[in-house]
Amino acid sequence: MADLSVSIGKLKLKNPVLVASGTFGYGQESRALTDLNALGGIVTKSVTLKRRDGNPPPRIFELPAGMLNSIGLANVGVDTFISEKLPFLSELSTAIIANVAGSTPEEYLQVIEKLDEHDSISAYELNFSCPNVKQGGLAFSQDPKVTQQVTRMLRDITEKPLIAKLTPNITRVSEIAQAAKDGGADAVSLINTLVGMAVNTQTRKPQVHTVTAGYSGPAVKPVALAKVFEVVQNVDIPVVGIGGIMNLNDALEFFITGACAVQVGTANFIDPSTGEKMVGGLNDYCNGNGIDAISEIVGSLKL
Amino acid sequence: MICSPPKSHDCIVLSNKRLSENSIYLTRLHCPDIAQNSSSGQFVNIKVSNELSPLLRRPFSICKVDKAEGWFEVLWQIVGRGTTLMAGYKVDDVINIIGPLGHGFHIKSGIESAILVGGGLGIAPLPFLCQDILEKSSANIAVYVGVRTKADLAMAELFNDFDINIIQCTEDGSAGIQGYVTKPLIEKLASKSSVPPVLFSCGPEVFLKRMVDISSEFDVEGQISVESVMGCGFGICVGCPVEVQDYAEGERKYKLTCIDGPVFDSREVLLVG
Repeated sequence: MADLSVSIGKLKLKNPVLVASGTFGYGQESRALTDLNALGGIVTKSVTLKRRDGNPPPRIFELPAGMLNSIGLANVGVDTFISEKLPFLSELSTAIIANVAGSTPEEYLQVIEKLDEHDSISAYELNFSCPNVKQGGLAFSQDPKVTQQVTRMLRDITEKPLIAKLTPNITRVSEIAQAAKDGGADAVSLINTLVGMAVNTQTRKPQVHTVTAGYSGPAVKPVALAKVFEVVQNVDIPVVGIGGIMNLNDALEFFITGACAVQVGTANFIDPSTGEKMVGGLNDYCNGNGIDAISEIVGSLKL
Repeated sequence: MICSPPKSHDCIVLSNKRLSENSIYLTRLHCPDIAQNSSSGQFVNIKVSNELSPLLRRPFSICKVDKAEGWFEVLWQIVGRGTTLMAGYKVDDVINIIGPLGHGFHIKSGIESAILVGGGLGIAPLPFLCQDILEKSSANIAVYVGVRTKADLAMAELFNDFDINIIQCTEDGSAGIQGYVTKPLIEKLASKSSVPPVLFSCGPEVFLKRMVDISSEFDVEGQISVESVMGCGFGICVGCPVEVQDYAEGERKYKLTCIDGPVFDSREVLLVG
C-alpha cells in the first residue's frame, strides 16, 4: 500500500482526493452512490450567515464538455448547517472542510465564529471567488490587499487551517495566492469557475438568468492546470488543484504540476463515486509504478 | 416523507423502439430495483454515453414498470445530441442509470375519480400513474392526450392495456378532436359530474400553467409534474429551482424540481408560463 496521506499545515488528509464545494451538497445526498469514507475529505456547500435562496432559474446550461452554473450560493445558512447537516458529516471518517462565504468580511467572521467550536470541522475553505453573487464573491480575490486583509482577520480568530479558494478571473493569480499566504492562509485552492456566457439565438436571451455564470467541467482543465502551475512556480504555499478533474489521469496531471491535493467538482454531478474511484486508481497507480508515497509525484514536472 | 437515497444501477436494454415518425422512442430497461421500488411520477437519470460530451445525465420520467419481470420503460424524443445517441441503443447494451429519483404523484386512498392530462411528451409518466391508481384504488380514470399531430398519437397506445376512457386531441386536427386538449377537458369539468376528480398533468410549462388555472377555476385538486434542466438529479447541484408560494410562511421561495418534485401541488407552484 502506497502512502497517500497528505498534510496541509495542521490539516491531515488520509488521501489527496477531495470533493469540491457546491458539487457534493452536504455529503448525505450521495451516501448510497459512493463510499464517503473513501474520500480524503468533503468540502461542503458554501455556508453563509443567513439562509440564501439563490438565483432565479435558469441556473445551469450545458456546453460541450462543460457547463455554466449560476446558483448564487443557495444554502441553508450556518445555524441550520450546524443543526441539520453537520451531525451526519460528523459521523464520517473523512476530513470535513467547511466552505465559508459572505457578502462582507464580517459575515465570514461571524460564520467561522459559529462553526469554530465544532471539532468535526477540520478546516475552512474561504470562498473568495464566487462569480455569481452581486456583493462579495469575486471581489475578495481580485484585489491582493483585500485578500490579505480578510484572510488576516480570519486568521486571528481561528486556529483551524485556512484554505483560500481563488478565482482564475484575474491576470496574475499568483499575486492573490501570495496575498493569501501573507494573510496567514495555510493553502490555496484553485480554480473556482471561469466567468462564461451563452446565448439562445432563437430568443436572443442569455442561457442563464444572471447573464454571465461560472464555467466548469473538463473543458476548463487546461486553464486550471496553467493557473496551478503559475502559483506553484511563484509562491511557497500548498496548492489544492481544482478544475475539470474527471478521472485519475486528470488528477495525476495536477499532482505532477505541483498540487498536493485535488478536488473533484463537476464530475460529481454525473458520478458521485468519481473521487472514490480515483483513490482506488491512485493506489493502484502508485503500487504499479513503485511509488511509496504520493509526495514522490507532487511537483515532479519535468521542464 | 422519507425517501431512500438514490442508487446507481447498470441496466440492460431489453428493447429500444421507435414509436413514431417524429422520432419518439420507448426504451425498456431491465432493473428489478428500479421497477420494484419506484412510484409513479418519479424519474431516472441516464448516463447517455461515456464521452465528455454530452457531459451531464439526461432525466426521464418512468413511463411504465413491470415489477414481476423487473423492467421499466422511458418515453422520449430525439431533441439533441444525448437523445440522438440514445436512439442507437441496442438490445443488451448496458446503461448506467441513477434512480428512482424525486417525489412522484400522491394517490390518496379512496380516490374516486382521476383525470390524467398529458401534453406532448408529458404523456410519459401517465401510463405508470394509471397502473398505480388502478393498483391502489377503484377510481374511475380518464386520460386526455394532447399532441401536435396524428403520428404522435402512437404514444396514446401506451394506455391500451388499461380499461379506461381515452380522449385524443391533435393541434392540427389530423386525428381525434382538433385543438388543445384543455378544450374537451374544460367541457368535461363544466358538465359537473357527481364526484370531483383529481387532475394529474404533465407537459410543457405553458400547458401546466393552464392546468393550474383550470384546477383553480373548477376548484379541484391538481398535481402537476414539472420539467427542468438538471445538473445532477439528486439535489447536489441545486440547479433546477422552481418558485413556490409557501402559504404557511407567507413567502415565495425556491424548491428543487429534482428532490422536492417533479410533482407539485398545482396551488403551490408559481409558473412563468
